[in-house]
Amino acid sequence: MASLDGVLIETDVLVIGAGAGGLLAALSAKRHGTPGTRVTLLDSWMIGRTGHTAFSNAWMIVALPGDDIDGILREIVAGNDGIADQLLVREALQQSHARLKDFEAIGMTFHQAADGSYARRPTRGLDLARVLYPEGGGLEFCWRLRLALEREGVQLLDRLFVTGLLRGAEGRIAGAVSIHSRTGTFHVVKARATIVCTNAITFRSGFVRDITGTGTLLAYGAGAALRNAEFSYVRPGTPKFYFEGITFAIQEGAHFVNGKGEAFMREYEPEWADEADVPRIARAMALEKQKGNDPLYLDMSPIPEDTREYFIHSKVKWMDYFFRKLGAEARTDMFGKTPYYALNQMTKMGIRTGPDCRSDVPGLLAAGLAQAGCANHFAGFHIGLCVGNGWVAGRSAIEDLDSLPPPRLDANQIEMLHDEALRPLDSTAAAESDAILRDLQAVMFAYDVGILKHGERLQQARQRVEVLAERMRALAAPHVHELVRLKETEAMLLAACFILGASLFRTESRLSHFRDDFPERDEDNWLVWVDAVRDGDTPKFVKTPVPTPLCPVLRRAVRPTRLDQRFAVAGG
Amino acid sequence: MIENIDIARCTGCGICDAVCPADVIHMEPAPVTAEVAGLRHIALLPVIRFREHCITCFSCEVFCPERIVDVHPSVKNRPRPW
Repeated sequence: MASLDGVLIETDVLVIGAGAGGLLAALSAKRHGTPGTRVTLLDSWMIGRTGHTAFSNAWMIVALPGDDIDGILREIVAGNDGIADQLLVREALQQSHARLKDFEAIGMTFHQAADGSYARRPTRGLDLARVLYPEGGGLEFCWRLRLALEREGVQLLDRLFVTGLLRGAEGRIAGAVSIHSRTGTFHVVKARATIVCTNAITFRSGFVRDITGTGTLLAYGAGAALRNAEFSYVRPGTPKFYFEGITFAIQEGAHFVNGKGEAFMREYEPEWADEADVPRIARAMALEKQKGNDPLYLDMSPIPEDTREYFIHSKVKWMDYFFRKLGAEARTDMFGKTPYYALNQMTKMGIRTGPDCRSDVPGLLAAGLAQAGCANHFAGFHIGLCVGNGWVAGRSAIEDLDSLPPPRLDANQIEMLHDEALRPLDSTAAAESDAILRDLQAVMFAYDVGILKHGERLQQARQRVEVLAERMRALAAPHVHELVRLKETEAMLLAACFILGASLFRTESRLSHFRDDFPERDEDNWLVWVDAVRDGDTPKFVKTPVPTPLCPVLRRAVRPTRLDQRFAVAGG
Repeated sequence: MIENIDIARCTGCGICDAVCPADVIHMEPAPVTAEVAGLRHIALLPVIRFREHCITCFSCEVFCPERIVDVHPSVKNRPRPW
């Protein structure tokens, strides 16, 4: 016990991760709790300034009074090819207007039309849903929420990187252990309810490469099941610059073309063409690559000269800096010929919960993209669902406070978690986890593994990941910076096993999961979630039928987007 | 990727370190010219400690009150599927 040296914090509700889901979970817990309820929000970096939401434009689907919520629900379910928690999606939509009012009450403003009504835009792949966009994007959204949480008495802990979940004596979760991501100081946070909001796992690939999503793997280690590992968010990207305005660009006339100059999207998506949602665009791009029709381009030349300026500016401050500093090059790159490819931005693997955001493990809840509510998130629905499930998770956590026995700390377990957290530190070691990460990216991002899948290729990829995992076991970290990265890479390797395993298990094609060897969607056998449950040292994959209490799962709607509604505005 | 911080004009406020999502910038003690002879003046100033892990998010540049951080918009090491 002499080796144990750290800090103990005690709280009622612990929220891990400060994106939209975590920020809303903390706000919800504070507001649903009785006066004096202690709520603690921690994040690996600075709450309000870092993370996926902070760097996004924070568009969010909001249903205003008079909107057809059942219709929006139906199209979201259809856009998920049925792999959606209908009850949770409906609740997120139903409460979205109340959340909008909460946001306005803490000083956020949303774009408005000249008559004072909200400016709303449609989003790719959906017909009825409309997104609102906050002034200042994700940075302003997160910062306003941080300030509000401070005012309401939520304890905010920056720079704590969670390395394990505490298991209480009764099989419940009793909080988490973490290290300070700069000093390495060990922290124990004892909590009566713990909400994991650490995003889905990524492989440091997307435009926000600080997100790594390790919490889902910790939840698995603590007994929770993981879901939707076979699905991913793959979007068109370029090697040269960030461009988050593809949805709008396509609405203005841009379209994808192949190396022969052919607009190829309508061949694969006859109804939606370039306005299909991103998994379908990614699949089409990969198929074009497979045919040898690359390089592929996003042809933005149809965009009128007078609206081009819009695209090389952004309401999102950091992105605007990016384009401004690129200067004339931005214009050349964007409107000239820059190759595009299908970039894997993040996986969709999350923690299995009910529509109440409770996991299978008492005291452990999930929100944000760490919660497996949907397998496909449209522009605006990422944040929209995270706002909704964060609110639900905070409420459920408060309900649990009285029903679960109070947690007790186990000194032996804490010592074990302490050693586990800090053991790889060795000042004489070399920082080598980046090399393994690059090899892992090469395995998982290959278009014929990550997008166009096949049983044999998935098996080969799995063997390569096992070799990398073996290499990983020998590594140590010379400093805390590398220690955090090493643990993130460890989690990515584990996630790769789930992704490949679940991809092998689902022998059909659906959403972003395209199997060359099982190209058809199979409604009779596969309207199910694939859940990874712990079975000794290896995950076991099981089917859980997706309940359809609110709407049947139909083939995708064939109705084209109504052009006249593209820039519709509505009151509220 | 972060290029430079103009240390001569830096006030040592530490915002660039605080907002960095990739732990690239560290505030570290550094000797500076003391106002009074005979005193050792140690200031906390930013050091680009892990440049290779910069994610080109521009936060350090955006939030620097002195406008002395320079991030280049090149995006490096982006994995490709083909």
